[in-house]
Order: sequence, then C-alpha cells, then structure tokens
Amino acid sequence: MSVDGVDVTGVDRDTLTRPIRSFSTRYIAALAVALGLIGVWLFFYSRQLRHGLIVTNLADWGSGGGVPWGLYIGAFIWWVGIAHGGIILSAAVRLLGMDTYQPVARLAELLTIAALTCAGIFILIHVGRPDRLVTSVLPAWPTRVQWSPLMWDVTVITAYFVLTATYLALTIRYDVTRLRDRLPDRLEPLYSALTVGYTEREDEVVERMVWWIAFAIIIMAPLLLHGGVIPWLFSLLPSMAGWAGGVQGPSFLSIALTSAVAGIIIVAAAFRYAYGWEELIPRAVFQGLAKWLGFFSLIFLWLQLQQVITGIFAAPTTLQHATEVKISTPLYWVAIGLVVLAMLYAFATALRPDLFDLRALVGISVGVLFGTLTEKVLFVVEGLQHAHFALYDGVPGQYVPSAVEISAVLGTIGVVVLFFLVVSKVIPVVELHAIEDHEEVDA
Amino acid sequence: MTALAPLTALIAAVAASVPTVAASPAAVPLSAEYTLPFVGPGTYLIFGIVLAPVYAMVAAWFLGDPSDRFAGLLGVGYLAGLTTVLWGSLFVATLIIGAVFF
Repeated sequence: MSVDGVDVTGVDRDTLTRPIRSFSTRYIAALAVALGLIGVWLFFYSRQLRHGLIVTNLADWGSGGGVPWGLYIGAFIWWVGIAHGGIILSAAVRLLGMDTYQPVARLAELLTIAALTCAGIFILIHVGRPDRLVTSVLPAWPTRVQWSPLMWDVTVITAYFVLTATYLALTIRYDVTRLRDRLPDRLEPLYSALTVGYTEREDEVVERMVWWIAFAIIIMAPLLLHGGVIPWLFSLLPSMAGWAGGVQGPSFLSIALTSAVAGIIIVAAAFRYAYGWEELIPRAVFQGLAKWLGFFSLIFLWLQLQQVITGIFAAPTTLQHATEVKISTPLYWVAIGLVVLAMLYAFATALRPDLFDLRALVGISVGVLFGTLTEKVLFVVEGLQHAHFALYDGVPGQYVPSAVEISAVLGTIGVVVLFFLVVSKVIPVVELHAIEDHEEVDA
Repeated sequence: MTALAPLTALIAAVAASVPTVAASPAAVPLSAEYTLPFVGPGTYLIFGIVLAPVYAMVAAWFLGDPSDRFAGLLGVGYLAGLTTVLWGSLFVATLIIGAVFF
C-alpha cells in the first residue's frame, strides 16, 4: 500500500489495538472534558424541558426577531455535513482505490455515525417535547412523506445512518475475528454477536457488498441528501428570498464536504497524538487531506461568489435585499475568511511541502468548522428575517443564540468525543486491512 | 353576417372542445404535482429517485458474483434491524416519557 509514499504495512497489530489495551491520564482527562460538556448541555436542556422553548431565543414568532429556526437548525445541517467525511474516505478507498486514506477510513465512518447522531439530537431537542418525534412525526409519515420535505429529510437521514452502520457492522467482522486475542474478554458476548456466522469464505463477498454500500451512499448522501433533501428544506420555499434557488444544492454540498474533511483531520490528528500513531497515520495522509480541504474550500468559495454576484447585480428586489444583508454582516466575512485561509494554506503547502505543519492544519480545520457553522446559522436566520413579505417587520428584538442553544452545540461536541472514547475501547478504529496488505491474514 | 355564421360556429366548437384554455385560463394546472397518479410527488422523489441506489445495492448483494445468501440476508437484517432499533428505541422512550411525566 504505497500510494503517494504512504506505506503503513510495517505497523504491527499491537500498535493497531493500542487504544483498546492502553489506559492513560490523558484518556481520563478527555473523558472528563466530554462528560463536562454534556453535563453543561443537560443542565440547560433540563431547563428547556421544564419551561419549553421560551428559554431559547427560538420560542415563536414573537421573540428574537421572529426566528423560530436558528442555531439548532444551523447546527443540524452542520453535523450532517461533517458526517459526509465517512463516505468521502470510504469512497476514496473502496471505489477509487486510494489506499493512502485507509488508515483513517474507519475513523471517518465512526465520525459519520457520531455526527448523524448529533444531527438527530438537534431535531429531537428542537421539536420541544422529545416524544413528538414518535407522537407527531411517525403517525404523519405515511401521508406527509408524499408532500413534506421535512418527512423526506427524516426518511433519508434514517437511511443514511442505517447504511453507514451496516457498512461498519459488515467490515468489523473481519477485524474482530482476526484480532480477537487482543480484544478484552469481558466484551466477548458483543464480539460473538458482531461476528455471528462468520467464515473466511465470506470475506470476498462482504468486500463486494461494502463496495456496493459505498456506491449507494456516495450517490444518495452527498448528491441527494446534502445536495438535495436538506437544501430543499429551504430552497423549495420561494417566500424566503435568501433560501430559494437551485444553487442551494451544490452550495450546501460544498460546505458539507469542506467541514467533513476538517472534521476527519481533527479526529485523525487527535488519535495520532494520543496513541503515538505517527507510523500508522503518517504525515502524508494529512498532506493529502489538506489538498482535499483546499479543493473543497475553493468550491465552497466559488458557490458563495455565485450567490453574491447574482444576488446584488440587478437581482429581484427581495433577493437583492437579502444578499445586501448577507454581505454587510461581519460574521459572514469571518466565516468566508476562515475558509479562504484554509484554501490558501492547503495550496501553499501543496506547492511548498516544507511549509506543512500538522498543528497548523488542525488549527485551520477548527477554524473551518467554526466558519461553516457560522455560515449555516446565518443562512438560516437571515433567510427567515428577510423574506419576500414583511411579516417580521413588527417583530421585536434580534436573534442571538441563547446559552441553552450554545450549550447544545458544546454538548454534541462532547457526545462525539465520548463516542470516540468509548468505541476506541471496544473495536479497532483503524482497519486491519491498512497494515496487512503484505502480511499473511492470520500471521 | 350569414357569411360569417360558419366561422362563428367553428370558433364556438373549438372553444367548447378546449374549455380549460378558452374559457378559463386559471383552470390550467399550476403545478405538475397534480399530474402524478396515485400519490404525491414526494413519494416518487424519495422512493423512486433518492433511494434508488439502495435498491441497486440490495439487488447486487444477491445477484452479483461473488454473492452469498447468508451474507446478503445478514446485510438486509442489519438494514431492517438498525432501522427498527433506531425508531423502536424512540418509541420506547416515548412510552417511558408518557408513563413518568403524564
């Protein structure tokens, strides 16, 4: 496996399973931080459950400048976007044969599951009473799926989650069977369930099955979910000038892919640092990911340019107004600036590899995640505030995310950290295939 | 006037044959949604287009080479089982919320 100078086949199985077998104060510290973030969120969320959405700035048309969709929905889109990292890497490895990225493919798939869970959490908390997902959404689904983009969204995100989890469940059978002697005995019932009916004869069949899962997801998730159903939640509403138009599909997708690569870089760098995996996840993997980040940032910026130019040059009155508001918002330019920085850094380090620094790349990736979240929240909020009709002109106040909403973003970040901390103690977070191309399967 | 009578009758006949255009432009369907039979457009969009890659995937699990009946059923079991667990757990949570708080 020596594409682009990346060859990790010299890494042994003990290194691969190091997260499962080791336990450190750093792990406890990370666990404490994750639980702390979740605790802060649960404290605020308990207030929301007790008093209702009035404790947020999303209560109804009568507060926060008439914005019933704000940080919750912006964060929902953001998390679904980050989730796309899994399929990007799986597609690169399975469909395109880019084995360079195999050491981080499973980390990315796990990020997909964690991020989709967080996206679901935002829907759950935004509907007010959490049982409404069952008492309202499920009974209405058979009829409303015919007409409602909200129901399309629920349907396709469920499919995305299930496909990704199935992908993981099928690929993990190979690894668990061969690494069983290095896995904890107390989890034997779980490993037995995961590998039920396993025989070596299935390897070839399962490899083909997961190729088809990657194929199905690469069409469904980026193109038809984040470039389709999710932007349709907005772009099918012609009453909101800032939301309408076919450009929202590709624009949403470009933002998703940019944030997804940033998310993978952060997660992979964290594992590399925590477990001394310099050999398993070499620098060349991050240099490759940096190029992807630069390319997706370029597409992101190009589509923003399309929207701004068509919005301010002889545009319909309401679209022009919405665009003028957008480009006069300082935070918008902060978001754009962070993505420009990422693009310039990626291209600069591609031209001059000696400029590459992993810590700088991680910092820039954090900036990209902040920028993409900001852009999405502004899109949602300003789209509502500057509609074709003047419904909100008399609505007092201006939307600013409340502490309850901000705590939810922090809490979901804590959920993702906790997810990785727990999962990395149970299953190998790097595929065995990454190190065994030149070794005997059962060596 | 009598010379124009056949023409008047022809115009009347044409108008009668295309009543939606000649008599009431507003009767022209405003959206393609009404042209889809049986169910609304979302059903065709989601189950006909968006989920089409999933159908191809499942078909390939059983029809391609190499394929295996057990592995294919395992995959389908995961798809059905995970969907059930996902929404079933929400259903159970709803029952618990109902029992504890209401």
